[in-house]
Amino acid sequence: MSSTAPSSSVSASRVVLSVYMALFFAYLFLPLILMVAAGFNSYSPPSVTQWQGFSLRWFSELAEDQRILQGIVNSVVVATGVILLSLPLGLSGALLLSRLDARSGSLLYGVLVSPVLTPGIILGISTLIFWRQVDVGGGLGLTVMAQSTFIAAYCMLMFMARLQRQDTSLEEAALDLGATHMQVFRRITLPFLRPAMLSAAVIAFLQSIENYNTTVFSIGASHTLVTEIGSRMRFGLTPVVNIIGLLFVTVTVAVAVAYVLLRQRERARTPAG
Amino acid sequence: MNAVYRSYGPLLGTIILLGVAVWTLAMIVGPQLFMIEQSLWRMEQPDSAVTAGMRIEELNNALSLAQYDLGALEGTTDPDKMAEREKLARSVSAMEQELTTLQGQDTAPVKVYTISNYTEMSGYHAEIFVKTIGASLMVTLIAFAVCYPVAYAAAKLAKPERAALILLGLVIPYAINELLRVFAWLMILDYQGVANSVLLWFGLPEPVRFLDSGAGVFVAMVYAYVLFMVFPIYNTIETLDTNQIEAARDLGASTWKIHSRVVLPHAKPGIAVGSIMTFMLSAGSFSVPHIMTRGTAQPWFSQLIYSKFYDSFYWNQGAAYAFTLLLVCVAFIILMMKVFKVGIRDIAK
Amino acid sequence: MRGKSVSLDSVSMRFGDFTAVQPTTLTIQAGEFFSILGPSGCGKTTLLRMISGFMSPTGGTIRIGDADVTALGPNRRPTALIFQNLALFPLMPVWENVAFGLEVRGVSRRDRREKAEELLALVALDGQGDKLPTALSGGQRQRVAIARALAVEPAVLLLDEPLSALDLKLRQHMRTELKEIQRKTGVTFLYITHDQGEALTMSDRVAVMRSGVVEQVGRGDDIYDNPATSFVASFVGESNRLTGTVDSISGGFATVSTRFGTLTARSGPGLAAGDKTIVFIRPERTRLQDTPDGAGLALRGTFLRRDLEGPFINLFFDCQGTPFSAHITNDSRHAAETGTDHWLRIAPEDALALPAGALARDE
Repeated sequence: MSSTAPSSSVSASRVVLSVYMALFFAYLFLPLILMVAAGFNSYSPPSVTQWQGFSLRWFSELAEDQRILQGIVNSVVVATGVILLSLPLGLSGALLLSRLDARSGSLLYGVLVSPVLTPGIILGISTLIFWRQVDVGGGLGLTVMAQSTFIAAYCMLMFMARLQRQDTSLEEAALDLGATHMQVFRRITLPFLRPAMLSAAVIAFLQSIENYNTTVFSIGASHTLVTEIGSRMRFGLTPVVNIIGLLFVTVTVAVAVAYVLLRQRERARTPAG
Repeated sequence: MNAVYRSYGPLLGTIILLGVAVWTLAMIVGPQLFMIEQSLWRMEQPDSAVTAGMRIEELNNALSLAQYDLGALEGTTDPDKMAEREKLARSVSAMEQELTTLQGQDTAPVKVYTISNYTEMSGYHAEIFVKTIGASLMVTLIAFAVCYPVAYAAAKLAKPERAALILLGLVIPYAINELLRVFAWLMILDYQGVANSVLLWFGLPEPVRFLDSGAGVFVAMVYAYVLFMVFPIYNTIETLDTNQIEAARDLGASTWKIHSRVVLPHAKPGIAVGSIMTFMLSAGSFSVPHIMTRGTAQPWFSQLIYSKFYDSFYWNQGAAYAFTLLLVCVAFIILMMKVFKVGIRDIAK
Repeated sequence: MRGKSVSLDSVSMRFGDFTAVQPTTLTIQAGEFFSILGPSGCGKTTLLRMISGFMSPTGGTIRIGDADVTALGPNRRPTALIFQNLALFPLMPVWENVAFGLEVRGVSRRDRREKAEELLALVALDGQGDKLPTALSGGQRQRVAIARALAVEPAVLLLDEPLSALDLKLRQHMRTELKEIQRKTGVTFLYITHDQGEALTMSDRVAVMRSGVVEQVGRGDDIYDNPATSFVASFVGESNRLTGTVDSISGGFATVSTRFGTLTARSGPGLAAGDKTIVFIRPERTRLQDTPDGAGLALRGTFLRRDLEGPFINLFFDCQGTPFSAHITNDSRHAAETGTDHWLRIAPEDALALPAGALARDE
């Protein structure tokens, strides 16, 4: 802040802003704290007002809850499928767009990113209808397709951001030294894109695990962790759900920290990257 | 196209083109087209099937009568009655024959193209549709008002270490599942929830039914999507050269002027993106109303769509509702692009 | 390693309505250090990219040695390009950079390493192979780029203003080094630059290019002393100019009428009696005198100011509205007073008359 800004009005507005920020973060975090706290209350359905004593019983109930455990497995299966599908698609899109002229590029770009701006339920519905034409019904496979529709676009945007920073003369230099296009791709382009691949995989994984609005339409009779939580919101709500919430918070923070650390290592390895 | 082959060679170039083709056609354009197609037809009984059905009904009645009569004449020896019985038996077999022919006819419902899936949206559903859109606009507006100071403070006022902390504080709830974030508010606003406990403690005579009014949906929705507004605005304000703000202040601009003339114009693309995301997520939200209405408050439009698919199995109308929702979102995107004068490339970042 | 010749036969390049390179016919000898000199936008980089194979000419044929390479991609030509920004692969250590061309040709790792060390020794970078390119200085990176290009044993090495990112001292040092490497390897060097100093010091021959046209090809001395066009005369080196009309030409000398009187100058190509002409006089060949005595035309000039260039001093005069400059060696103190008059004599052998047309079109 420049020293030319004198006066009490500036500091007054700073106080107002600080109070506002404090309130805002209370608004963000208090509900989450309450939710986690209810997970340690032995009372069910989840509550913090009807306190019946501290308990860890919901952890053991979670460990024995077959539907939830199966849901976690299904979620991971779907997320893995999404990564395997979205990364190649996103990469193809980014590589293609980096070589198209402005006009045809803009049109294709608009089409490819449109799923990001489309409500998730519509992606689920349209995928469901499309694949029923060939008698493929709801399930894990269809969920991979539906989620990848928009997750591939996120991956593409990350690849594009990275490609924009690439020096095209590197690829030309490799070609000039006699490399085939495949060799250029493997030795120059892919290594350059590695950090973006890592980010894209992490984002794709998180987006897939978290997804509800699209999945609820495409999952059919199967279930993922999140759709199982969704159905328990109406039926059989116990603090097991709160424990899942706690685990989500823990895993999220762990992944975020791991990601930051990995990026730093990656950066240390590639000084000019 | 040639540029693609020149850059990547024939093998890689073909793989890339194939990948994009599959993505575009089988995952984006194809599904949308089939959804629109599905919304434009329904299965109907053909007219011939309707008249045939009436005739079958008629024949069945006549037949059972005749068979009753026939049964009454069973075992008679009276020649008159024998003749009558003969005649009756003949007409029964004639009727039976006609019935077989009619039943053999194709009475299956046929596919009829119509726009009635759209036009038949009932008054109640139309009301929910309008309320959903209106509420989503309000959510967007409130989210902007709440987020702008936060984004500005994080981008321009806080010292670097504090700004990083603020961002981390924003990221953590952002990364927690939407259902659980909303569920936290269910615990607060429930009939026996935290809010009511606090209000009772302050001396309110009886608990408030927050959820039945639909207010619960609204509050939780602002909470669930507020962060989709913060980040785009933060990203654009961050690129604003701080010198511009100081230059404006140096020239005597008030805080209001600094924001209306310098910061806000610069943040336009971010505001557009944030608004589009927040509106789209709200209007298409299934999770928030699913949890917060608990079946007591008026449903959200997305819930109507879900029940068309999974309760009444009326996919055609469900597709029509879904496409209507999509049109509103597209209209909103176009509106934002016009208002904030940004292009599609600025939006998807 | 053995260089090969490069022959361009009516090679041209059009981008829509714009012609970047007019049909050009040019032969670069095997083992020659050849430079293309021209201002930015003159088409020299386009020419280079056509020879390296990154662009296909819209007309004409390119031959390297005896082979027609017009239709071949950059990875199938016996050329190696040194990029303006060097384009070293940032994720590979130096030796892998150098050996990249061998790697893609399937050479075993041991042989690659050996060859890389050999080349690094050639460019005086012994033992630096395991560093990342970013850990090297500008001049070292430059040498890595050269070693990398030489590793594929190219017949022709193409250099696209590779010294432009270096500072002055290093640039001058690298000139010598490049010339030395070229001599040792015998590879044909094709060097693109807008810096006449680089072109004149290193090259066996220089081509001067403007607006997609090669205006002159020749040894450095030729280009400097006998520029073929008024563009070459003004682009290469500094010149004083006098405009006039040719009265007559005889014995290689033209008699030109100027507003300062009649002047005799060497007659350039394409000049005929009656033509408008520009007479070019190098500042260092302008004789500064206190009297108008001697052969040739003497102009009376008022001294304006002096610029110290180091080894010489640039003196500026005003000759009745026409600016004129003279270089004198910085061997003694030259004490001219501003506003004093001097005589600037132009000897016939130091002046060159060229047709005015081409330059006038530009200005």
